[in-house]
Amino acid sequence: MPIVAAIILPGLPHPVLKPEISAWAQIAAASAAAGKALAAARPDSLLIYSTQWIAVLDQLWQARPEMDGIHVDENWYELGDLPFHIRTDTALAEACIAGTAEIGIRSKPVDYDSFPVDTGTLVAQHFLNEDAALPVVSTSNNLYHDWHKTEALGGVARSVAEKTGKRVAAIGVGGLSSRMFRAPIDPHTDHFAEPGDDAANRALLSRFEAGDCDGVRRQSADMAAAMPTDFGLKHLAFLLGATGGDFKGATVHGYGPIYGTGAAAVELHL
Amino acid sequence: MAKGEILAGFLAPHPPHLVYGENPPQNEPRSQGGWEPLRWAYERARKSIEELKPDVLLVHSPHWMTHVGHHFLGVPRLSGKSVDPIFPNLFRYNFALDVDVELAEACAAEAAESGLVTQMMRNPNFRVDYGTITTLHMIRPQWDIPVVGISANNSPYYLNTKEGLGEMDLLGKATRRAIEKTGRRAVLLASNTLCHFHFHEEPEIPEDMSCEHPQNYAGYQWDMRIIDLLRRGRTKEVFELLPTFIEEAFAEIKSGAFTWMFAAMDYPEIPAELHGYGTVIGTGNAVMEWNLARLAEAARGQAA
Repeated sequence: MPIVAAIILPGLPHPVLKPEISAWAQIAAASAAAGKALAAARPDSLLIYSTQWIAVLDQLWQARPEMDGIHVDENWYELGDLPFHIRTDTALAEACIAGTAEIGIRSKPVDYDSFPVDTGTLVAQHFLNEDAALPVVSTSNNLYHDWHKTEALGGVARSVAEKTGKRVAAIGVGGLSSRMFRAPIDPHTDHFAEPGDDAANRALLSRFEAGDCDGVRRQSADMAAAMPTDFGLKHLAFLLGATGGDFKGATVHGYGPIYGTGAAAVELHL
Repeated sequence: MAKGEILAGFLAPHPPHLVYGENPPQNEPRSQGGWEPLRWAYERARKSIEELKPDVLLVHSPHWMTHVGHHFLGVPRLSGKSVDPIFPNLFRYNFALDVDVELAEACAAEAAESGLVTQMMRNPNFRVDYGTITTLHMIRPQWDIPVVGISANNSPYYLNTKEGLGEMDLLGKATRRAIEKTGRRAVLLASNTLCHFHFHEEPEIPEDMSCEHPQNYAGYQWDMRIIDLLRRGRTKEVFELLPTFIEEAFAEIKSGAFTWMFAAMDYPEIPAELHGYGTVIGTGNAVMEWNLARLAEAARGQAA
């Protein structure tokens, strides 16, 4: 099996930068627990799809061998900086780029000093690979790709991993419901922006726990049609593609609100 | 302290291609030119800035997108390398800019008085977005005038266009009060494209102008209709049409800068000067000027 682990992580920086806030501390602990599960699967590389890396032209793949820097989120700069060190699995990235052409998606490598790595990718790096022990392939959220195309993209990543023989962990970085408070809140009182968002999120997570791939697809579509979600939950589509929808269940390591939105750290059972 | 005033407002779009085409020393990639009519339009706008000699340039950028309120740059000097996440092959720009923090704070305070959520950005490691930098470079490449940088709160997307632009109206009026109270002679820059339909693939040579034309004919027709009205000073009519224009032409002015600028200028019914129009990967871009200082001077001349 080339995909040896599949993880969902929220991409907002609050659990990394303010773990002393109880609501965010439980998400931080859950993300760290997902990291332990990932390590137990002994992957050779991480494959990260983050909703916060926005692409408009082409599908972008990070191809810079090493990246260091300090990232400041454009919204949450007051919470602090995110220092980072990332190593890229350039061979796997190149293989993915070549592979997407077969399904009609034009891809491009990104290899530039000071390229603005997105917050979601860095949050995943923090919880899953802080010492950069594992090389990473990260890819973007093309705004014009729908659920179906994104699932196909995940499928390409799976078939590429199969060909290379590498043990790859697939990570979908993003939130669930994305209705956010539009005025400052007391973080200690963080809660869901709408009670209905909480219910919808829980219904989605229960589909994962039941190993119901079609149910995940249906619930995701229903949610995206009825309420604000994190880019239509396309990070979940990518994970379904990467796993071939072949998961037996899931462990929800933690779930809760971040500034009103839905956040969950989930380990899929493959 | 003399009462401050808005000298002029500019529609000043921010395709990074224009910086790339110009080959300034701050930008790493090199080009063979391209998008000349738009770059020459900015040359004319630069001459106006030189004549106006403002104390400060205020820019509202859709590429600093904030969820919780309207944010203002609040660090006296910011520097670094800004790489466009969409066009990193074209825009890797080493910037250094001075912020008029006093005016930014006044704008934030006035906007808060109007009931808007505001926040000052105080993190010295903050990387300024490429929209702000492109507009500022194209209008004043010397970087010798302090700036106020304002984020695009996502209210027109989170709420609806009418409610969101209603917030931008309040923000514009608050900006005007802050300028008047602080005694600044200010120029406003609305960093917005008009029709925003674009191609989904870049030509192999990005500056190959044989590939450049409007992506969408209906969008182009909308742009001409709006520009024509603005050139005739029919501002009220433009704002009546704005929600339909935004919807049918996917106009980037939805993000609010255009409304912010006009509200700050009190929606003047004066003819705009069109410095130039052109497309960038198919989107419609107009560089336009509303020179209030020239108008006031003419009025004074007539009175005398």
